[in-house]
Amino acid sequence: MTAPLLEIRQLYKSYQKAQGIFGRKTIQALSDISFSLYPGQTLAIVGETGSGKSTLAKLLVGIETPDSGEILLEGEAVTISDHKKYNHVIRYIFQDPARSLNPHQRVGQMLEDVLRYSTDLNEQQRQQKIHQTLAQLGLMEEHAAYYPHMFSGGQLQRVALARALIMDPKLLILDEALTALDPSLRAQIVNLLLELQKTTGLSYLLITNHLRLVRHISDSMLVLHQGKALDYGPTNHVFAHPQHDYSRKLINSAQS
Amino acid sequence: MILLDIKNMTIELETPEGLIRAVDKVNLTIREGEIRGLVGESGSGKSLIAKAIVGVLNKRWHITADRFSWAGQDLLRLSYEEQRKIIGRDIAMIYQEPSRSMDPTAPILDQLLEAIPDSELESRWWGRPFERRKKAIALLHKVGIRDHQAILNSYPYQLPEGVCQKIMIAMAIAKKPKLLIADEPTTALESTTQAQLFRLLASFNQLKGMSILLISHELETVARNTQTLSVLYCGQLVEAGETAAILKSPFHPYTDALIKSVPEFQPQLASKQPLYALHGSIPTLQHLPIGCRLGPRCPNARKECVKTPVLERLQNHYFSCHFPLQGKKT
Repeated sequence: MTAPLLEIRQLYKSYQKAQGIFGRKTIQALSDISFSLYPGQTLAIVGETGSGKSTLAKLLVGIETPDSGEILLEGEAVTISDHKKYNHVIRYIFQDPARSLNPHQRVGQMLEDVLRYSTDLNEQQRQQKIHQTLAQLGLMEEHAAYYPHMFSGGQLQRVALARALIMDPKLLILDEALTALDPSLRAQIVNLLLELQKTTGLSYLLITNHLRLVRHISDSMLVLHQGKALDYGPTNHVFAHPQHDYSRKLINSAQS
Repeated sequence: MILLDIKNMTIELETPEGLIRAVDKVNLTIREGEIRGLVGESGSGKSLIAKAIVGVLNKRWHITADRFSWAGQDLLRLSYEEQRKIIGRDIAMIYQEPSRSMDPTAPILDQLLEAIPDSELESRWWGRPFERRKKAIALLHKVGIRDHQAILNSYPYQLPEGVCQKIMIAMAIAKKPKLLIADEPTTALESTTQAQLFRLLASFNQLKGMSILLISHELETVARNTQTLSVLYCGQLVEAGETAAILKSPFHPYTDALIKSVPEFQPQLASKQPLYALHGSIPTLQHLPIGCRLGPRCPNARKECVKTPVLERLQNHYFSCHFPLQGKKT
């Protein structure tokens, strides 16, 4: 088997919370999380609110630093100082595209900004890249001149995908990106994601609590509960033989 | 007995450009003790219908209907005050996002006390405050909250969304309604709490014979918890009938697409295979197509589809399509 794209070893993260005047309370957000993600695969992270899903995503994109543990990207340890280097590799898609795009900026301008700050392409190459990415996602060249409010829900999610894919990343983090969509649009986006994975070998890290989708699109899954990893393994295996009571409850609730 | 009977209800919005028809001739009947699902995507007008039933739409919305009767009584003929009286007595509604639709400035106890109508109390006026409090606690126990003391003194923002939703249900059942309208009751909840909530609703339905109108955009949750189903698309009723029959053999291409887009209903579909999806997206209210509103997205649309199809009936299965998927009997 090929080397893992992303490997997480024994990750710990805690937050300090003030209590009283001098007191400090430590909240252990994540403890002893390890997993690995191979190229072209999808890992689903499942858990309820407060289970540490979002903390994990924040650690991966470098918004927060872990207390201890290692994040290895293609075998190299990632440190917070060079996240500029690896923001080409990991891209993040937010929950609500309508709120995560700047309403004052045309889509073309927004995409160009991404390229101008992170690559050495010249004007012409940038335009070419923008058109190429829009076409890849089933949008038209004219859409570059549109403002976000002119798109419908499904198209907006495509624009958000375009902003992520324009850097040719290897890993996309989808933070509840599919939950808020309507069923028929969700099916469109799921198809698009699956097709992209097939053609370009992207990996996805899917953070969600929508278990039925997880079963369909992920290769392996990790169940988080109060900062601890409960079940980790291939999706079919976890669904068939959950080891912990909590995961069993979660899976039953999706099937009953 | 048929509780709610609506025929050809149309809801129009007043805009500077004229009236926009958000809901177009929708029929809906609810029997006593029935759980009916109402499925549709965003903008299909499902919340509008719910709000029209309880009468909370403001004056910019025009509601017309051929028939709008509650338990045999024609509501449209009654005066506004009489309508309010009947609806207030018999119909209760749970809104989406419970923590936002509760009063943020009052503790739960006060809100619960307020929700208990005088007609439910038996004692004289001096005994009433005590009885009310006892009833409020009993209501919390009924919806499965055991530790009532901690909950009663908290404010909505201090409680998790699932607990807020249970309190909303407690308030709704305080007046023992005949019909409970649940508008997307589970969108904000975790999947484990969702299952709990549906069990709770089902138990009220079975023990008290309460009818429920369950509104949601997720076909799979609705299908699992209802006996009958109505599917809406862009304000038009596309299909209605028994849930099992619709899932087994849908007549309308939209219902078919909805069913096929859910991986759970496609057990033979291997994982990571593309799902069935209609192309295009839901039209906005300003740009509704004429005739069948699914027209531009429909895989078997033809010339005839620019005329609005009439609702046809095959036993207990209603559908409105010129070219239904299961061969038309002529």
